[in-house]
Amino acid sequence: MSTALDGRPADTAGRPFTLAPWVAGLGLAAVALAGLCLGTPFVSPQNLLSIAPDSIAHVVVWELRVPRVLIGLLGGAAIGTAGLLLQESLRNPLAVPEMLGVSTGAALAVSVCVVWALPVPPPLYPLAGLLGAALGGLATLAAARSGRSAGGVLLIGAAVSTAIQALLLAVMATADRLQYDMLFRYLVGSLSGLMWEQTARTLPWFAVAIPLIVLCVPALGLLRLGDDAAASLGSRVNRARLGVLAVATLLIGAVTGPCGPIAWVGFLAPVVARRLRPHAGVRSWLPWSAALGALVTMTADVAARLAFAPVETPLGAWTALAGVLTGAVLLRKRGSA
Amino acid sequence: MTLTTRPAPGARTARFGRVATAAVLLAVVAATHLLVSGQPIGAIAGLLDSAADGQAEKIVWELGVPRLLTALLTGAALGVSGYVLQATLRNSLAAPEFSGVNPGAVLGILGGLTLGLFPADSAAGALLAALAGGALGGGVTWLLSAGRDPAHLVVHGLLGSALLAGLTTMLLAYQPSRFGNALRWLIGSVEGRVWEHLTFASWWIAGGIALAWACSGLLAVLAPSDDHAASLGLHPALGRAIALTVAIALTAGAASLAGAIAFVGLVAPHVARRLGGRVLTAAVAGAVALAGADSLAQLAGHFLNGTHRLGVPAGVITALAGSAVLIRLGRSQ
Repeated sequence: MSTALDGRPADTAGRPFTLAPWVAGLGLAAVALAGLCLGTPFVSPQNLLSIAPDSIAHVVVWELRVPRVLIGLLGGAAIGTAGLLLQESLRNPLAVPEMLGVSTGAALAVSVCVVWALPVPPPLYPLAGLLGAALGGLATLAAARSGRSAGGVLLIGAAVSTAIQALLLAVMATADRLQYDMLFRYLVGSLSGLMWEQTARTLPWFAVAIPLIVLCVPALGLLRLGDDAAASLGSRVNRARLGVLAVATLLIGAVTGPCGPIAWVGFLAPVVARRLRPHAGVRSWLPWSAALGALVTMTADVAARLAFAPVETPLGAWTALAGVLTGAVLLRKRGSA
Repeated sequence: MTLTTRPAPGARTARFGRVATAAVLLAVVAATHLLVSGQPIGAIAGLLDSAADGQAEKIVWELGVPRLLTALLTGAALGVSGYVLQATLRNSLAAPEFSGVNPGAVLGILGGLTLGLFPADSAAGALLAALAGGALGGGVTWLLSAGRDPAHLVVHGLLGSALLAGLTTMLLAYQPSRFGNALRWLIGSVEGRVWEHLTFASWWIAGGIALAWACSGLLAVLAPSDDHAASLGLHPALGRAIALTVAIALTAGAASLAGAIAFVGLVAPHVARRLGGRVLTAAVAGAVALAGADSLAQLAGHFLNGTHRLGVPAGVITALAGSAVLIRLGRSQ
């Protein structure tokens, strides 16, 4: 599966500086392999394909680790892409999924289903998450409609997501002690306990999203120019932006449903992608954001599993740590430059 | 009577009017808060004879009054802390929750509880842990933004707050069974505080507000610019350090009582400045805001009775109201 992802960042071939895609591909392969092999029981890489089919190791690798790595890579890629879509369409590097009420909306919808025992079968939880993500994003967009500047949109997004977060905590306060384990994931994000069942429910959404992302690329190129320039070129700015935001919502909702909000990956991946290719356009940043999102998420997940083993730490805390530190370094560089 | 003293009587009546308004407002909010608690009016009025006899009166005295005082004290502390932060950092978005101080204080409390550094019912232990955590949070923000223009502190404060929130979730993940107890600190709630919690914290908060009031001259000198402060003979860094210490102490006091109450520290100073007031106005505005929010929370709790096991936390109401204010602010930009 890592080779499948190798193909995505490799579109920069033929340019003078072609080492980076190989490094990214190797990194992805390495963390994916680490996700498959490390832990208890440890399975050495050369034995991965030749484990006895009825051993515990076989079950652990094929029923637990493979789906988890798959969701980690694809989910991370989706969040990275969604972050780029948000940042480009709102023209602000701080437009992260967490700040727009999208991922908190998804978390709220799923935890309401769980806590109040709504008659929603568990297979439909991703759908509920998607609905919540759309509602959270719509709330932000509706509140921001008259907000002219991108800064205003951000402030409103922060306000909406804080309000949703408060509601989420209030809902959790009424939860049963036994439900905490399940709900905790929607507060912090985690890949634990994902099996083929959840994976099979999530993958179709990604399949739907990929052609839509491709359709977004021309619109993003126009939105980059600024509202006035884009409008003078004949683009319906608001409609284009709404479309891009809808695709981002789809991606975030699809990931938040099974995993909870994976914080800061949507900030980190696009920002680093822009650093790596400062003079390229959206077309080049998109695969890079996806690859870096997958890389960050998978690395954080391996750290979350192993750092304090046997206790598993939440993935979201690690990604937040990485995101905040990178953000601080980047701000510092920009300040001194 | 000379010319120079002539404006004094007018100013004095204006000040008297302001104090009277504040007193009436506080009394109304306090009465509302006690009335919506669902206890009979007779029990509340019966307390006026300064003896709690009968079960209903005891309930009001042991639960209702401490809850009201917690709300008033916490709100006042957050209002003053926000006022001091906004004046010192010259940024109208500086607030305890955006500068790493409040998340740090919550992290300190939860860390202390998880590691068993102090018993769960120890008020002084919670305060010390909140103080250490708040200083840590403020320190992280300070380190992230070292050598920068203080006006940019808020971006770093948001980053620092996110970092501390990540650490808090790590702490919670370490012992998920304690998650239920931790929720109260994460959302912010004034419920379930009794007199023992208040005795120490009330002195702390009152002292902090008095100190901030004494510093109001310092704040006025610092507010325009560093050069302005330096030309008036005040060392800007020293003045800022003093003011920020007071702000952290007040936020820690508030957090040790009620956890992470959002937005009161952001909005109350705005109200105070719009009314032309300073430290004490911010204190009254914060106290009224939080007591009012807790009254609403109690009412909402009555409506949702049955589904809500813990009652509605006041922090939810302040977060909802505060985000409405923030949305208006964003729209006007």
